[in-house]
Amino acid sequence: MSEDFKNEVVIQLPNISIIPFQNINKAYIKVISINFFLISLTSFIGLFLLQYYLLSEDILQYIIQLYLGLGTLCILLYGYFLLAFPNRKYAIRNKDISYKYGLLVFKTTTVPFSRIQHVEIDERPISRFFNLAAIRIYTAGDDSDDLVIKGIQKQKALEIKEFISTTINE
Amino acid sequence: MNKGFSFSEFSKQSPKGLLIIYLAEIYKVLKLFWIFLFILFKDFSKFTSYGIIYIYLGVFVLLSFLFIRSYLIYLNFQFKVFNDHFILKKGILKKTNIEIPFQRIQNINFKQNIVQQLIGVFEVNIETAGSNDTEIAIKALSLEKATALKKIVSTAKFTDLNLKKEKELEPILTISPFALLKVSLTENHLQNLLLFLAVLFGFFNQIQQVSESLGQSEVLGGLITDSTSNLSTNLVLLFIVLVLLTLIALLSSFVKVFLLHFNLTAYLKKDAFEINQGLFTKKTIVLKKEKIQTITFSTNPLKRAIGISFVTFKQAVSGKTKKKKKERPIRLVGCKQEQLEVIKNTVYSNLDVLEKQKVYPNSYYAKRLFIYAGLFLLVVYSLLYFIFNHIEIAYSLVLVLPITILLILKKIKKRFYKISDSMIVVGKGVLETHLIFLNLFKVQHIQLKQSIFQKKSKVATIILQTASGKINLPCISYLEAIQLYNHTLYKVETSKKSWM
Repeated sequence: MSEDFKNEVVIQLPNISIIPFQNINKAYIKVISINFFLISLTSFIGLFLLQYYLLSEDILQYIIQLYLGLGTLCILLYGYFLLAFPNRKYAIRNKDISYKYGLLVFKTTTVPFSRIQHVEIDERPISRFFNLAAIRIYTAGDDSDDLVIKGIQKQKALEIKEFISTTINE
Repeated sequence: MNKGFSFSEFSKQSPKGLLIIYLAEIYKVLKLFWIFLFILFKDFSKFTSYGIIYIYLGVFVLLSFLFIRSYLIYLNFQFKVFNDHFILKKGILKKTNIEIPFQRIQNINFKQNIVQQLIGVFEVNIETAGSNDTEIAIKALSLEKATALKKIVSTAKFTDLNLKKEKELEPILTISPFALLKVSLTENHLQNLLLFLAVLFGFFNQIQQVSESLGQSEVLGGLITDSTSNLSTNLVLLFIVLVLLTLIALLSSFVKVFLLHFNLTAYLKKDAFEINQGLFTKKTIVLKKEKIQTITFSTNPLKRAIGISFVTFKQAVSGKTKKKKKERPIRLVGCKQEQLEVIKNTVYSNLDVLEKQKVYPNSYYAKRLFIYAGLFLLVVYSLLYFIFNHIEIAYSLVLVLPITILLILKKIKKRFYKISDSMIVVGKGVLETHLIFLNLFKVQHIQLKQSIFQKKSKVATIILQTASGKINLPCISYLEAIQLYNHTLYKVETSKKSWM
């Protein structure tokens, strides 16, 4: 009986377009920046090494353009990440969890708790430094498209995981 | 009931299984090293008699090693049934113990390849779904043992399943060789041709790689340049190639259909379909109604003319192995209208969805298809111009452009969906026409996608993710998309039925 009552909650809040979404933790932008900085640095070092050891004369005359191209690519990508950051939002309802993101293409994904196979929390080294974690939710669908929410405070992530696990096991 | 086989003790496979394992091991080695054998045999005469002895010795050692290995595999492969669990011990050095509760077993399928047919044993595949367990294959069991095992598992699982009536069942579908011929003639030949060419190309590529590494690439390379220069000048040759390709296409469709679907018979049981088919590899597939995720009814203009279509059942993809071994969907070919009705009515209790209005995508969908196709052609033709430097290439547009437009119009016309309270039916296709049936509560998760262009036109794309792949609903109006999104979630979250 009480379970039937809980279904009512879903009916009361049926509309995905009006549920209040929460932003992910602001500190995650630092994680993105550091990660991005590391990747850019590696690609520049890679190009530098190529220049000295591998590239032939024909290509070397364009080396400045190559550096400029790589630089602009990095700046554009970084700008894209920064602008897209405020759009990363998640919401948890009684029966499902949703995540939305994207700048040029907006995506909203919702996974009902009753279809979740398992939940994982992972902490990458840089995230851990800021006390952040990522929640990964797996369903029986294609694994590539399951739900991943990065940049949630670790304590909160654990709470969410706990909430989901208890709901699944009911 | 076979009381003789209760499987309460650990039992091994049929002794004949040793042969099957041995052959499978040899095949595995051959598959890895066939290219070396190829080289070896090519230069066989060059070896001195002294060298040949070593080769024979090597082969002998390898074969005996494989035999011992197979024997150990056979000895260590033991299984039993205990407390509603299927228990399997295997492994020579790395011992593995697998325990599967009966509820988790999705299917028990029998299979017979040509060797297994010759010595009269069955391969039994035990499928589980949605977990990390890989599929279990018992390579060789006698028919009695195999059916006994199947009965134990399925009766324990569904006590109400009346198995004694099995033999009296009338098949809902039998396909005679003549009907199969009709099916194969109306196949999508273009697709089969591409498939064949892809296989051929892969094979050719492999040979070329090896011969290149041996410094013989000129021979094959010379062959290619010869034929291409002829091709551009000689129209007769082009004609012959076309005829040849058509023949290959027909033949490959024919071979494919006969290999897979020979002697196709389908039975309808209380809560499952049983499907038998195959020429060299006979397969028996039991398809439980509730395990079916989506059913696709497909036809093409040729097939429609003789009134047949084919049905594709998709089950949950079993085992999330990293190997990406895609399960072949279960297909029934040559179904007549009345069989389609039987299938629909058995699987779906409420078919009011069919009376619902068709909802077509927004005109944005058409615009997007035309823009994509236009851009694609632009890129292809610029590249061609860049390579060949002949403006005459553009003349082919007279042919290409109308075909493209026609195909896009077909694609747009066939794109629609119908939705009822509990079900959705999605139509799609270009040359073929597909009709996908899905119970909304089987959706795993749902995604709404909207690019900034789509946002301007107030349309969005919905992706329904099921356990057997995704279903796209491109460019439907935003309000409808939101409604569908909410309705699907509501259906999933209030459903008490299990999705598999």
